[in-house]
Amino acid sequence: MSNKNTTTTASGIQIRRKPLGLRIWNNRGHYIMFLPVFIFVLILNYWPMLGIRYAFMEYKAGGSPSWTGLTHFERMFSTSAFWSAFGNTLVLSIVKLFLTTFASVIVSVFLNEMGNLFVKKTLQTIIYLPHFMSWAVVASIFTLILSPSSTGMINGMLRDLGILGPNDSSIYFLADSKMWRPIFYLINIWKDTGWGTIIFLATLSGISPELYEAADIDGATRLQKIRFVTLPALANTIITVLILNLAKVMNLFESVFVLYNSAVYDVSDVIGTYIYRQTFMVARPDYGYSTAVGLFRSIVGCILVLICNKASNKVRGRGIV
Amino acid sequence: MKKKALSLLLASTMVVSLAACGGNNDASNDSASTSSGTTSSDNSGSSSSDSSSSGDSASGEYVLTDVKIMVNGTVNSVKQETEAQQTNRDAFIPQLEAAVGEAIGHEINIEFEVASHSDYAGYVGRMFVSEQYPDVMIMSADMLKQYESTGLLWDMADAYANAEFQSRLQLPGINENLKDSQGHLYGFAPTYGNGCVTYVKQAWLDNLGINGDDIKTYDDFYNMLVRFSTEDPDGNGIDGDTYGFISAGLIGSEAPWINYVAEFWQGAYPSILQGEDGVWYDGFQTDEAKEALLRLQKAYKEGVIDPDSFTAGTKDAREKWFGAEQSGSAGVFTYWAGTWYQNLANNLEKNGVDNEVYELAPIAEITNTFGGYLNREAPVWVILDDGDGDDSREQAIFTAILDTMLDGDKVQTLWTYGPEGIAWSTEAEEFSLYPDDPDKRKDYSYQDGEFHMRPGLEDPNILAVKNHLDPALTISPLTNGYVSSTDLQDISNKFFTDHCVDAPSSPSSDTYSERSAEIIDARDVVIAEVVVNGGDVDAAMQKYVSDVGSLVDQILEELNSAE
Repeated sequence: MSNKNTTTTASGIQIRRKPLGLRIWNNRGHYIMFLPVFIFVLILNYWPMLGIRYAFMEYKAGGSPSWTGLTHFERMFSTSAFWSAFGNTLVLSIVKLFLTTFASVIVSVFLNEMGNLFVKKTLQTIIYLPHFMSWAVVASIFTLILSPSSTGMINGMLRDLGILGPNDSSIYFLADSKMWRPIFYLINIWKDTGWGTIIFLATLSGISPELYEAADIDGATRLQKIRFVTLPALANTIITVLILNLAKVMNLFESVFVLYNSAVYDVSDVIGTYIYRQTFMVARPDYGYSTAVGLFRSIVGCILVLICNKASNKVRGRGIV
Repeated sequence: MKKKALSLLLASTMVVSLAACGGNNDASNDSASTSSGTTSSDNSGSSSSDSSSSGDSASGEYVLTDVKIMVNGTVNSVKQETEAQQTNRDAFIPQLEAAVGEAIGHEINIEFEVASHSDYAGYVGRMFVSEQYPDVMIMSADMLKQYESTGLLWDMADAYANAEFQSRLQLPGINENLKDSQGHLYGFAPTYGNGCVTYVKQAWLDNLGINGDDIKTYDDFYNMLVRFSTEDPDGNGIDGDTYGFISAGLIGSEAPWINYVAEFWQGAYPSILQGEDGVWYDGFQTDEAKEALLRLQKAYKEGVIDPDSFTAGTKDAREKWFGAEQSGSAGVFTYWAGTWYQNLANNLEKNGVDNEVYELAPIAEITNTFGGYLNREAPVWVILDDGDGDDSREQAIFTAILDTMLDGDKVQTLWTYGPEGIAWSTEAEEFSLYPDDPDKRKDYSYQDGEFHMRPGLEDPNILAVKNHLDPALTISPLTNGYVSSTDLQDISNKFFTDHCVDAPSSPSSDTYSERSAEIIDARDVVIAEVVVNGGDVDAAMQKYVSDVGSLVDQILEELNSAE
């Protein structure tokens, strides 16, 4: 039994708590060390959050902010382009996440099976490289490769192979609603798979060799060892990676921004690009509306984090926040 | 004890580091406030720094000692992205300060802030909402329309009327047209807007036996494009590996929207515009716009237009047009008149391509509708009103920066050509462009006192480009005889002025300024659906109306009720 002024030790002994002031004084060294961090967090993390109020204001250059209530949210929820962007954000992010994670797992397993260390390291380096290219460069490269003009590499190959006839129009891959998403996923897999393998390779290197030796004694084939030893050992890491990344799905912007165009808005426009156009493509934007859309995105992101935390608790026995 | 000492040491280190960060901010804020006045967004704030640090109006005349100027990428001599640009800037600003100081009779510090050219409107918006105001800045005509009713801009009508350059003004109509119905002038245009001309590769015309002068109608124009895309205009022995036309987009990203694709849009104007009867309407919902979309659809489908045009930026389109690899290039490209005529020819030559370029006169369908190529609304300089009810500081800024900009002499020369001794000179000298290439080598020799441009710092094989004012476009010419335009520039400027009309005015309404992106999105989707995907124009238009029809109606109501 403990009350406000008493506390119970691990051995069950009740002791009287010292007053708060005295406890602070006794730990003053720690508190002094903590103070700058506390101020730092307040200024850089919480002070900017006061900007949320602009979601409920008209906030334009050349005028003082004025309260408008829920007007921005009414406009946002009644705009079909917003809902399209919201749906696209979820679909593109989640599908991309699963595909790149899956690809990373497969590549990691293959790399792990390689016996020649030199080839393994070389391949690892090669597949890491795309991660270090900026999205602007990646987009330029793929725009050239996929160009519908006579200089486009893929269209040229299709013609050389006779798949496209002399009278057929070139395929405009990045302006076709049916093709844009698959291409987007492919480019993401190309760019991020290598980087994603790092964590899986680290896990794989931690698998006890005894498990493989035991499997050998039992007469397991290579594929059986992958199936019954490697993949189960990776399962926890895969789930952790998925959960951690699921919390970030609303942040999609750059990769879409450099690859999309008005012909594929219906399948490519995400909340980030939608906010960008509504804010920076007009001469005198209302930042209140942009803030409202951003706030909505943050709330959805926050809910996803909480869901992931719950899922993490269930799967790993500990949360992510 | 050791722990305590360590904790205190760590804590004080962090505090000092935080204070250092804060200290830096304070320093920069102080610097900003001394170099420029603070301007109240609601026109009621004070600008204490104006009188304390930038001058003294007690004696009646304001002494402006510091001025902050914000510009986009159109002032070449203040850019600082490359070493060459930094060298130019380091020379230009002191020379400008000295020349302006001499003109106004006292020293002045000029601070330039160069904002992103492609995101200038967004940058300005962000600066303004965070109440960071320059003293004077550049705005596009469209931006001016959105900001002139906010109270942020100073009405310079009187200052303009009494300006020193008035006696030399050759194109007074440019700024008279910028005045609103009450005679207020919130932006000053030192040049006219300029516009685009359709350029054709002469070698391609010659190879196919086409006479450019015979291209008079859209049918003539289209037939030329078809021949360029199906025959062998580049003479590489392969038919059909070239295109007729390339452009930076099927519609521009700013007004006047159609100037890169003028022959296809013809008399259609896909934006909100004012009719001859004074009534505002949506030009995109007209039959003319539908017909233009069908023309573009046909040309795109038949491979006459390079399909990359849909997503190409201006740099992409330019480089593909004048690139060394002419297979896959196009014969026709519509781009800016004047300086760019010379630049295009230079780049063709640099890439080893025949550099003769034919300027195509507007086809009949353009002259019969608009009357010619569109001269865009001129970009302007604006002065921010500090809201103290006293115009002396704003007048001083006008006198120091805008009036001297057209002084006909030293200051105007700097704004026109850049820093003396780097971009241009009057001293005797000899130099060569392409000194190591006997085919391209050009030798120049100048006497003492003879004005001339010098080799550019970025590319020493090309003469330095203009700084900000185009000498051929300015409303008040240089009086010191410092003229450096090439024959091609002169030809192109004359050609354009002979064949241009003013572009329609941009609309100005609260809803338009805030929500025009929604209309532009919907319009771009229609263009993509019809032209790129070959969709039905009526169905696409129907979707446009259902998506943004009510928003367009609301804007039109605002515009027409304000008239």
